Parts: sequence; C-alpha cells; structure tokens
Amino acid sequence: MSDSGHAPVPEQQRPTPSGSAAVPDEGLQWRRVHPVTPFVRGWAIIVALLFVVTQQSFEGIPYGELVDDVAQVWWVFVLGILGVLAVVFGFAALSWRMTSFAVDDDAAHLRKGILFRQQRHARLDRLQAVDVRQPLLARLFGLAELTLEVAGGSDSAVAIGFLRLDDATALRADLLARAAGVKARRSGPAPAVPDPADAADTSSAEPGAGRAAAAEPGSGDGRPDGQVPLVAVEAPENQVYEVPPARLLGSLVRLPAVWVSLILFVGLGVVVALTRNVGLLFSLLPAVLGVGTFLFNRFAGEFGFRAAVSPDGIRLRHGLLETRSQTIPPGRVQAIELSQGLWWRGKDWWRIKVNVAGYGVEGSEGTQSVLLPVGPRQEALTAMWLVLPDLGTPDPAALVDEGLTGDARTDRSFTTSPRRALILDPLTWRRNGFAVTDRALLLRGGRLTRRLTVVPHERTQSLGLQQGPWQRRRGVASFTVHSTPGPISPAVHHLDAPDAARLIDAQAVRARTARAQQTPERWMETVAAVAAAAEPTDQSDRQMTDQPTGEPVAERSDAPAARPTSEGDA
Amino acid sequence: MTSFDLPVDPDPVEGITGPFDPPGIAWDRVSPRLTTARLVVLGLTLGLPILACAAVAVLVTPWVWLAAGFLAAILLWAVLLVPRQVRAIGYAERDDDLLIRKGILFRQLVVVPYGRMQFVDVQAGPLDRKLGIAKVQLHTAAASTDAVIPGLPPVEAERLRDRLTARGEAKLAGL
Repeated sequence: MSDSGHAPVPEQQRPTPSGSAAVPDEGLQWRRVHPVTPFVRGWAIIVALLFVVTQQSFEGIPYGELVDDVAQVWWVFVLGILGVLAVVFGFAALSWRMTSFAVDDDAAHLRKGILFRQQRHARLDRLQAVDVRQPLLARLFGLAELTLEVAGGSDSAVAIGFLRLDDATALRADLLARAAGVKARRSGPAPAVPDPADAADTSSAEPGAGRAAAAEPGSGDGRPDGQVPLVAVEAPENQVYEVPPARLLGSLVRLPAVWVSLILFVGLGVVVALTRNVGLLFSLLPAVLGVGTFLFNRFAGEFGFRAAVSPDGIRLRHGLLETRSQTIPPGRVQAIELSQGLWWRGKDWWRIKVNVAGYGVEGSEGTQSVLLPVGPRQEALTAMWLVLPDLGTPDPAALVDEGLTGDARTDRSFTTSPRRALILDPLTWRRNGFAVTDRALLLRGGRLTRRLTVVPHERTQSLGLQQGPWQRRRGVASFTVHSTPGPISPAVHHLDAPDAARLIDAQAVRARTARAQQTPERWMETVAAVAAAAEPTDQSDRQMTDQPTGEPVAERSDAPAARPTSEGDA
Repeated sequence: MTSFDLPVDPDPVEGITGPFDPPGIAWDRVSPRLTTARLVVLGLTLGLPILACAAVAVLVTPWVWLAAGFLAAILLWAVLLVPRQVRAIGYAERDDDLLIRKGILFRQLVVVPYGRMQFVDVQAGPLDRKLGIAKVQLHTAAASTDAVIPGLPPVEAERLRDRLTARGEAKLAGL
C-alpha cells in the first residue's frame, strides 16, 4: 500500500507484476481494486484466525495463575496477535497487488492470484448482465463489487472488486457504453446506412470519445490506486415500478411454506399440551430454522425492489443487508415466466422470473433472476413489456390474460391438450397449452400454481419432443424449448401429437427467421427502444412492429441525446 | 406390459411414426457396431455379477440362484432390446438444423439449429476405438440440450464434426 501512494503513474506503466506477460499490455490501462478488498472478502477468515490465536494463547495458561503471570505472558499474547496480523496483512497486500483489471473497447480484462495466476478476458459484445453488489461489510466501507456476466457456464463471471461505489457505477456505465458499441464506432467501420440520425449519433458519441482521450493523460493524478477517472455517463433511467415492503411481507405470509409450518406447529402444540412432553417441540427446530432462513433470505434479498428502464437495459435494485443493482441489456433475457401460487389469487399477485445467460441456476432463495418479486397483474404486465416490448400480436393484453388465467373452456388463441390427456394429467390438462405470436412462443401450464412462460423466438436454443408409452397410447406428446441455464425450463406437456409435430417444425423455422432479423449484440448501434416501452400502450407496441426499417432511426437519435443531459448531474 | 404396445411396431425403425417421423426426412442410421459395444458393456456389468451369484449358489446356498436368474433375465431382455434401440437412433441434416431421434418406448426428438451450436465434441473410448465407432455431441448455450449421436464410424464422425462446425460458424449469432 505504501508504494502506491507516492508514484502511481510509473506504477501503472510498469509491465505486469511477475511473470504473467501472456498478453501484450499495449493500450491497456491496468487499474487496481480498492486496498480494503482482501479484508472485505476474507473478514470471516481473519476473525476466525484471531479467535483461534486468542484461544490458544489463553489455553496455554492455567487459569489460577493467570493474574500473576499476566505481566510476563502478555508479551507472547501480543506477539502472537501481531504475528498473525502481519501474515494476514502481508497476504492481503500481496493479493491486492496481484489483482488488477483493465477495460478496452472489446473486452474487460482481469488478473488475479498469487501462486496460481489467472487472466480472464470477457468479450464485451458477449456481455449478458452487469451487477453491482454491496455486501453488508462493503457497504460500511462504501465499496461495491462489479460482476460482468458472460454466458460461459458456471463461474464464468468476471468479478471486479471491490471499488468505491461511485467508481463502480462509473465503471459500469463505461462498460455498458462500450458493450453497446458507443465507442466502437470511433475506430470501427462507418455504419451501413448514412442517414441524418447517424450524423447526430456520431457527433454525440464523439464528445465521449474526446473526453476519454482528454482524461487519459491526467489519469494518475491524485488517485491513490491509479484509478482512472471514468468517462462514460450513466444512461438516464425511468423508474417503472417498486415493491413496497408491506406487499412483500404479505406475499411471503401467503406462501404455502408458512401455512404448512404453521399448521404443523399448531398440531404439535396440541400434542405437547396433551402429553406434556415439551421435548417434542425441539423436533420442529430444524424445520422452523429452515423455513425461517428461507423467508428471511427472500425478504432481505427482495427488500426495496425497484425496476427502471434505461437505454442500457433493465435496471433492478434490491436488497436489505446486501444490496444488488443489476443491469440487463436489451435482448439478454432468454425466457420469462409469470407464476401465481394458490394463495396469491385473491390479490391477483404474480411473480416474474427470467432466464439470463450467465446468471445460471441458483438456489431457492436466489434473487438474481427475479424480475418482479410480487406485484398485481397490471404491474406484472408492465414488467413483461420491459423485456418484450412487442409481443407480435394486435391485442397482447388479452393474449396474456388468457395465458395467465384462461383454460381450454375460454380459449381463443391457445392450443391445449386434447381431452384424451385427462387420464394422464387430470388436474392441469385444460391449462396445458401454447400460443404463438410473431415474436414469441407462450407456454401455459399449472392449475394450482399457474404459470405462463414466454420465449422470444430468437432466443430459442434448441427444441425437443418426448413421448412415453402411455402418452403414445393417448396420442399426445410433450414439447420442450431448451433455454440457457436458469430457473425456467420452458415446456408444455401432453399436446395432441399432430399439434406437437406441427409446433416443433414451425418453431424451428420461426426461430431461424427471428434470429436472422434480431438486433445485434451491440444494441446502441441500431436500436435503444427500451425507454419507449416504459409506457406499455398499444401505440408503442405498434411502433415496434416494423422495427428493422423505420423505428431505429428515431430511437437512435433519441437515446444518445439523452446521455449528455445526465452529464450535468454526474 | 402389453399396454406398452411394443408388438404393434413391426419394425422398430419403420414403426416410428407420428410426430417423430416428420415427412420428407431421410434418416441416417448409426453403425450396427454400436450394438456390439453396448452388449459388451452390458455383458460385463451384468455377466460378472451373474457369475459371482452362481459361484455363491454352488458353494454356499442354492437360494442365490434366484438372484442369478433374475440378473440373467434382465440380461436376456437387454440383449433383445439393445439392437432395436440402436436401430431406432437416427439423425438427419437439414439445411438449417440437425435432427436427432432416439428411443422406442420413450421417444425423443431434438432439433438443434446450426446457428445455436457452441461447440462439438467427438469422443471414443478404448472399446469404441477397437470397434471403430465414435460419439458426436453437440452443445448449445442450453445445458438441457441433449444432442448426442453415438456409434458413428470415425470418418463419418469427423465429417459430421467439420460440417457442423462449418455451418455453425456460418450461421453463428449471439445468444
């Protein structure tokens, strides 16, 4: 830490610390994370070590002589603690020195590790989501960790941290701007279509680039860690909805887990009262602890949930102790599922989860893949329009209503299981069904817990069809859409076999056509229309339909123009 | 057991109809040597316990013949089933996607678009190499994609791998 204070600039230009020159460093500005990082990451280990040392030192002394000997022994005690501190500190300092990151137009780079060096490059055009996470301890220090999710299976994320909170948000803005292709235009080939909006666009991107150049010479000034003042501006955002704590509590109380454990508890109370055997109560302890942990994690994770839209995608903020601020760029949501448990029906509350490549599968209390923890139907629809501004049908609201609560008796657009499937699936056969629009496939299922899954055509990975012996006798088959790993596995069971055959055939074609027309990974280069989706009116839906031709022009000139306005605030 | 309507299919391959036989698709079959490979593995995993049971039956108590007979029945059933299963595996290269079909009792059809392919695995164990077959596995960004073609002759496996990767690159899009 001491050497970074006096000479930050040569420190930066010096090549990599030791023997990790696998990649040429030209043009890369390596930056350090905040020096407190090792302590925030390893506080539990440090506390445990201190505890062990203290314990050991005291146990060496017979208690009776403690008072007499304390004058002689406290040296050893203090030395032990100091020794451990020195080792921990040395290790922390070394690991801090060995961790550095850099960002260029195409990728984010991270180097870490003391003995086993690791270099990681994440391509920004493959960026799936950016999270800024603040665990409790990091919040006390005002620090945050930035996680870049790229779709590379489990543990493929690049975690840069910890940084000061404003540095982290600035870095996020920078990353998103680069991933959106705002800077790439500077050196890249000219856009294909020369239109007036383009001219406006490049000119509005130019100041950012110019400021980037201007910022570079002075990058070392006054900053202790060699952190470069960041350039890009946070894209403006509009809050769309938030979940008040009362509603969140109400939704948790209505979960079946709560009722089942309550009934168990009351039942056991009666038994205890009858038999006067209090010991029985302890048998419930693990269950109570389990349910309690689940509920608390969900409450703490989803507390203060707010969602906003910006040209850079959907912004989600939530958390009571550990806060998390997620940004999911446009087109990164692979599948979306609305669900409603039995006891949420009275309030017409819905919960929305999404599949985002890179977030992967998480535990039951995972809150990363939640788009809306709980909300009335109108809010759920709004949340859905955030992800899918255009459902590709003239009357999206009616279609979604049918998907949420309809069944075979009221269907107009859904194709459901035939009556033959009754014996295979007596409860949900009327609900099992699918509907296809120009842009997405809707799969419906669940009778007690209603579910509606929506997969945009261009996000289909592969398709599957399964049929067991009983299904064959009944002439039905199950249809699956394979999506990236996540909480949702889209499927619809027991479709009429010819329907299923037609669906898998047509869906393959639809997915292909949709992929051919999809927006590029660098979303700013053609379209940033999400902001328009904040108001889910039919009007905006209609505008989006002929998106490849007319719409991007208007949106493009609009979105970057919005960026400079927030520069004043930043 | 009769309800599984197995006997209805005169030929396990020709008998697969309905949604698992889209019209106008010419299915490629895998090598019959896959049958040998699977039978060898089965023979080892079931044959050794049968021998062990027989030995115990002769030396200790004749009751263990029951267990040996039970295992032998499973082996016999498997020996009858495996050739049909192997014949039921088929794949077809369409212009834009690959179709893989398998199973007689539990049928499965997977459609993998070339543009969705992330990488292709070709694997062959010692027995496979001895018999001259290999396994080709396609991976997409979805972990649930179960697209495996076992029992391909190595030349065909390589041709398929090259062709799939070439097509995948040509059509590669984002996630």
